[in-house]
Amino acid sequence: MRIFKATDPEYLSLKREDFKLHTREEEIHDAKFETKPVGFFKDAMLRFGKNTASIIAFAIICIIVILSAFGPMMNEYGYNDQDLDRANLPARIKGCEGINLLNGSTVLKNRRKDNLDNTEKYPEGCILDVFNETVVNGVEMCDIRIDTYIYSGYGDDYFWFGTDYLGRDLWTRVWRGCRISLIIAFAAVLTNVGFGVIYGSIAGYYGGMTDMVMMRFAEIVQAFPNIVVMTLFIMYFGNGLFAIIMALVVRDWVGTATLIRAQFYRFKDSEYVLAARTLGTKDAVLIFRHILPNAIGPIVTRTMIAIPSAIFAESFLAYIGLGIRAPEASLGVLLSHAQTVLLQYPYQTVFPAVLISVLMISFNLFGNGLRDAFDPTQRGT
Amino acid sequence: MARYVMQRLLAMLLTLFIIVTVAFLVIRLMPSSIYDDPTISAEVLDMIQAKYHLDRPLIEQYGIFMKNVLLKGDWGISMKIQPNIPVFQVLGGKVPLTLFINLVSLLASIPIGLVFGAFAAIKKNTMTDHGISLFVILFISIPSFIYATLLQYFAAYKFGWFPITYTVSDMASVKYLSLFLPTLSLALDPMAKVARYMRAELIESLNSEYILLARTKGFTRSKAIFRHAIRNSCIPVLNIVVPMFANVLGGSLVVESIFAIPGMGSLMIKSINANDHYLTIAILLIYSLVSLMTVLVVDLLYAVIDPRVRMGGKKQ
Repeated sequence: MRIFKATDPEYLSLKREDFKLHTREEEIHDAKFETKPVGFFKDAMLRFGKNTASIIAFAIICIIVILSAFGPMMNEYGYNDQDLDRANLPARIKGCEGINLLNGSTVLKNRRKDNLDNTEKYPEGCILDVFNETVVNGVEMCDIRIDTYIYSGYGDDYFWFGTDYLGRDLWTRVWRGCRISLIIAFAAVLTNVGFGVIYGSIAGYYGGMTDMVMMRFAEIVQAFPNIVVMTLFIMYFGNGLFAIIMALVVRDWVGTATLIRAQFYRFKDSEYVLAARTLGTKDAVLIFRHILPNAIGPIVTRTMIAIPSAIFAESFLAYIGLGIRAPEASLGVLLSHAQTVLLQYPYQTVFPAVLISVLMISFNLFGNGLRDAFDPTQRGT
Repeated sequence: MARYVMQRLLAMLLTLFIIVTVAFLVIRLMPSSIYDDPTISAEVLDMIQAKYHLDRPLIEQYGIFMKNVLLKGDWGISMKIQPNIPVFQVLGGKVPLTLFINLVSLLASIPIGLVFGAFAAIKKNTMTDHGISLFVILFISIPSFIYATLLQYFAAYKFGWFPITYTVSDMASVKYLSLFLPTLSLALDPMAKVARYMRAELIESLNSEYILLARTKGFTRSKAIFRHAIRNSCIPVLNIVVPMFANVLGGSLVVESIFAIPGMGSLMIKSINANDHYLTIAILLIYSLVSLMTVLVVDLLYAVIDPRVRMGGKKQ
């Protein structure tokens, strides 16, 4: 190939016909893309789909959400129907007569054997099993397993999770409590993320003095121990639904804000932002349309991982007596009540405890799956 | 370094000041009065209120409180829980117990978590690894009060290995035995967190080039792991340990109430419910102080362990 200079006589004498287009007529040999382009979300969903544990967790979450929406309607008992005569009945489900936890039976210890036939004391058919027979001072004693429902005259009722100390149906209360816990957790996390995103965006985008002041304020908020902030907040605003939600947000937004701010620092000086700015794009559009979508992965992940912590924090408040106001119940309130009668009526602890554990495990697995999908480099941490 | 510590201490004092102020105002602005016993006659009530300056405007009460605190170091007296006893004397017996179960559980959980995490990373993708990972997920997800309940029901009530609740006893062995279950239920969660993080970090280290170099130079695998990989993995793990210390006292509140430990948790709930204002302020102060102090100490330790961290570093 020759290089012509502008002063070369040959260059000046070049004619239009001497030039020819290089590849206009010839075939281009590049292979065409056979596949469709995969976007960010589709890519993430594909990765998520490969994670069996997360899919199962997601299914379980869906089931729990549906049950907490419709569970209380599945039997005729209201969440606040009190009846002291039927207090503390264990769980009884039709068809589970063989399983001791679910057949409404209780063990009574040290009963006189000669009294067992007395139908005034033990109504017809309430004794299921007699065992541990001993003789004490010449009196025959034994332990018996009775059907508590027949024993207390509620032979036709089926309380699937039993009843509490006021005779309220625990199935209804557990699902209603689960609903409240979920509402609190979702509302708290959404508020937290919403506020954190706006705060972090402004601090990160404008930088400089604005950033300095805003982040110092956030640091001061974070210096308060969580427990102290939550306690003071609920003491002041009372234990309504809204106050509890706000108590969970009051300090947690700082983490989200820091995360978003870091994302803004990463992207705000990149060329595409500069180009958009040159074209006269407004600040608000730049923030929310051009820069923020970069952080969508971390935001989604953070939201999902924050939900189990919010459920935990809510139960925690319930345990220290700052839970939602009676007669409403959350999972935490139910658990803390059940805790006080654990040794007498363990079934009252079992159902909410299993539910909250399954819920937390599912949310954690689901959150991990989402994080691996959105950011494969973080896998395993 | 000394300058940095001074700066941090000053910032801490400022935070504590704000916390005490907020706590004072919030508690005083609550609707119920300290003395709401209907049997007290109006005259006596007036006298009591005058004695404790409750009849003055709020801002003046705050001034008096702050003056006593700053000049005499007098944080007031307990009004309901143990009447007329200075608040810190009431607190004195409770703080060590709470501090004990929290610090012991946290300090014990870190090395155990590190060992399990390292083990899982070295045996990556084997049954050992999957087993450890399963337990990690369980321990991270399930709340501590559920373990506490389970342990109490099975280990203490059914099998009788441990006392069901906290037992006051002159014999140290009985006392510490009754503290074992609460400590264990507090330790599981940080243990799992550390293990999970350590596993991820160590796996990354094991795949890095300096390990390959060490192996090429003739190090055995175990030597390469122990000399190089583990050391480098421990430092990032500190990142998640620091926030644990920040919340060091908060975690035990529920576990304390489950095992009936007469620690700060139950005292706090009681004093809030009884409107024992000065005591509540003192408890909130202790919570904040301990958490701020531990974070400071851990931050300083960070610099000792990792020389690359320069304390209070400014932009060069």
